[in-house]
Amino acid sequence: MFLVILLSVGLIVADTRLDRVEPVRSALGTVLAPVYWLGNAPRDFSEWVSGLFTTRDDLVEENEALQARLLILERRALKYAALAAENNELRRLMNSSEVLDDRVIVAEIVSVSPDPYSHEVVINKGSRDGVRVGQAILDAGGLMGQVVQSSSFTSRVMLVSDSSHAVPVEVVRNGLRSILLGIGDSDILELVYVPDTVDIREGDLLVSSGLGGRFPRGYPVAEVSAIHKDPGDPFVQIQATPKARLNQSRLVLVVFSPQDDAGDELPAESGIAVGSDAVIGEEY
Amino acid sequence: MLSVISYPVFALSVLVSLVLSISLFPVDWFEFRPEWLGLMVFYWTFRAPAQFGIVLAWCAGLLLDVLESTPLGVNAMAMALVAFLVLTVHQRLRMFPIPQQCLMVFLLLGINQMLVHFIKQVLGADSTGFSYLWPALTSALVWPPLCILLDNLNRKLG
Repeated sequence: MFLVILLSVGLIVADTRLDRVEPVRSALGTVLAPVYWLGNAPRDFSEWVSGLFTTRDDLVEENEALQARLLILERRALKYAALAAENNELRRLMNSSEVLDDRVIVAEIVSVSPDPYSHEVVINKGSRDGVRVGQAILDAGGLMGQVVQSSSFTSRVMLVSDSSHAVPVEVVRNGLRSILLGIGDSDILELVYVPDTVDIREGDLLVSSGLGGRFPRGYPVAEVSAIHKDPGDPFVQIQATPKARLNQSRLVLVVFSPQDDAGDELPAESGIAVGSDAVIGEEY
Repeated sequence: MLSVISYPVFALSVLVSLVLSISLFPVDWFEFRPEWLGLMVFYWTFRAPAQFGIVLAWCAGLLLDVLESTPLGVNAMAMALVAFLVLTVHQRLRMFPIPQQCLMVFLLLGINQMLVHFIKQVLGADSTGFSYLWPALTSALVWPPLCILLDNLNRKLG
């Protein structure tokens, strides 16, 4: 017993202070991939069963709805392509080296952290698909979190609402920079160190500012939902609601910013399929 | 103590408990999820103290650490502690009626949870009051059916 305690303490210290056991964790994570798969199996199965009993009419209807939506999105994409080209042109005129062309792959959330006090999820893409620690994760609404650990087939993502997570953001309206902290509640984030004289209102959209080099710039993160000014405090208390649907989304996007790709052996072109089936590489 | 134990049942029960400890559970009831792996460690050290001991419990806890992404060693140490305590009391434990066994499950898994949360807080997690004891309570409630089920499986297959 004494030996085991000694060993455990050694491991805990090595893990938290020295970061030496990441390979062990990653290897064990790979071994445990079947457990993740089994944990997700009931839902896969129920989806498969409900897929068996969908009527043709439903499918046709859904197909039509999707096609209509596709048309709308394509029209928007057309407009966006023109805008992106114009934007790049303007940036070139300003001699800026920053070009907006992040590549993404689609991943699926296969498990939610069993610990109720940490906001983490596991996605079904791992280092085999090129996912690295530190990459940003999006859903259709906005920024969801970042990869904190990747094993061969799965990666672990810390959500923006985790109480140890922070994102550098800026207000879209006026470019005011600040830091958005998670407080362990998936509906509320906190904007900190904002002096009480600045111009910020409820409903302001906060986007990632790209400072700190972790998150790509310009993705929506949250919307200011409540502002509380206390004359005695040097800073305003501001709460924001995340734009991403943190506990509802099932499909997420893993963002490869151009810097990531430069270090990769994967080609940085658009449209390549990393890994297999459900992976869609596309250019924004 | 059982006269025979079935190793396939042992392997399967540990695998199932690992799956249950990460698989989907209603979000609002997250903090009431029983400590499945702790129950397995409890059961196997209680029923087969000669075969299943501290080291195996430690290994199982290590797997749980990876699944929960706690610092490696936290759950491992807590599981080893449960195994150790069960080993010290298992002879008395066999004499206990079921309700009293449930009480012991609550006590030992409560100690397990307490240790895990103590270490996490030392490493900088948020304090959560006493709500971390819920899993110990729900584990104590599922103990009687679980014990009967595993006993039957062992008798049939062992």
